[in-house]
Formats: sequence, structure tokens, C-alpha cells
Amino acid sequence: MTGNDIVDLASAASESHWKRKGFLEKLFTAEEQRYIRSAASPELIVWRMWTMKESAYKIYTQQHGGRFFAPQKFNCRILSTILGEVIFREHIYQTQTQCTAEYVYSIAGVKALGLNPFLNTCFTVSGHSYPATANFVYQKIIADYARATDQKKTNYTLAKDRNYVPFLYNKADRYCIPISITHHGRYAAFTIN
Amino acid sequence: MTNEALIASLKTIVKPYVRNEEGFKNMTEHTDFLTDLQINSANLVDVILDIENEFDIEIDNESMEKMLSVKAAMEIITTKLSEK
Repeated sequence: MTGNDIVDLASAASESHWKRKGFLEKLFTAEEQRYIRSAASPELIVWRMWTMKESAYKIYTQQHGGRFFAPQKFNCRILSTILGEVIFREHIYQTQTQCTAEYVYSIAGVKALGLNPFLNTCFTVSGHSYPATANFVYQKIIADYARATDQKKTNYTLAKDRNYVPFLYNKADRYCIPISITHHGRYAAFTIN
Repeated sequence: MTNEALIASLKTIVKPYVRNEEGFKNMTEHTDFLTDLQINSANLVDVILDIENEFDIEIDNESMEKMLSVKAAMEIITTKLSEK
């Protein structure tokens, strides 16, 4: 199982003011805030740690259910420019982050199992209005997965469980495939194990 | 403060972060901030900070954990206001 999260840096710059009073304090631990404030590019570290926390949260809820907003409880450790760890309760998640000039994209997996998703694809999304963008993302995921598994697109549908965790459903053979989806601004990505 | 007044002021607060206009038009106490309004999870913290400023209350981490819907926000605001 892999979780993922993407931040479009241009959208983040216009939608989120990470310097606003209370913003860092609500999302990050005291240690993470120190790390951000001493970084050469604090903004990049803010979004890197945020995507690490979000992708770890997505695996946790896929496996254990529930919904909550507790970003401070997901403790980030940055190990290199790419690798990191997120610790939540007794769980340790391993993360990989890709930082480009356009976006920050993290994936996370249970540390003991390693990170090797079957598909991990990042793509651009045209249009800005919901629900057209969501449909575009869903169709792209179904098309990519059908191609990768040599099946018909019409065999698959995308649905969400009662905790809003998405999954692909194979209508012909009636089985579910867990999936992690993220979309922000001009970018979207998905991972399937 | 009546429930109607509370929902009205929450509507003003969340408006800048909403990405699903249809959900916003039909916003009730059963509306979910993330799934119905499509508010970005990074903007959820802005909603929380705006609520703190608007009502002059402090939302602790334990309350913040539940802050995913209009109903939860209303309960938390009402509780915090009564403690003042």
C-alpha cells in the first residue's frame, strides 16, 4: 500500500499563506517548525513536510479507517533530499519526495514493506473547475491502469468507501484495488500497488 | 447565537477556499468541508484560523482533529464560546 500527496507550488503560493500567524503552529511540531525556519528554502520544506504527512495519513486511513485532521501528530524526519520518515503513533512510514520547480510530490509506505508501487504516475490536469477536473483525473487513472494490466477500460470504475478512501473496482471479476489519488492545481498523481 | 446565524458566518469564512460551488450553494450543517466543498486539506487550517479570529476563540488540537464538517465546527464553536 502506498499513499501520495502533491502540492502545485504556484497554486500553493496563491492559496496558502504559510507565513500567516498560527499556520505553522497548527500543522507542525516545534521541532519541525525549527527545521522549517532554519531552512534555506522554508517554503519548499513546508510543502515537503506537508505532503509527507498527508501521504502517511492516507496509508493510515486506508489500513485502519477513520477520518481526522491531526497533522501535528505525524512527525516528519528528513533523511536526504528525497528520503524521509513519518512517525504516527506506533507506525513508521518511509517517504520519497520529488521536488521540482513546479510541484512537490511525496509517496509514503509502511517502512517494513518498502516503497515499490506497481504504478506511480504524475500528470498535468487541464481545466480548473470541479467536477470536470475530478472526472478527468479518474478517467486518466482508469485508462492507465487498464493499459498497464492489459484489460478493457470499461471493466473498471473508481469509487470511494465510507471514509472517502478511493479504490478501483473491477466490474467483470468483482474485486477492489486500493489506490491513492492526489490533485492540486495543475497536477495530479496516483499510486497503485 | 442561533444555528442559522452560525451557518451564515461559517459560509462567509469558507467561501474563499471552496472549489465545489454546487456544494457551497447547498451548504447545511451536514456539509463536509473536504468532500462536499472540495476545500483543499492545506486550506482547512486557514478555515480553522479564520474561525479562531472571527469568534475570538482558541481551537486546541483535540478539537481541530474533528473539524471536518459544518456540524463539527458548529459544535466546537458553541462549546468554546460557552467556556469564555
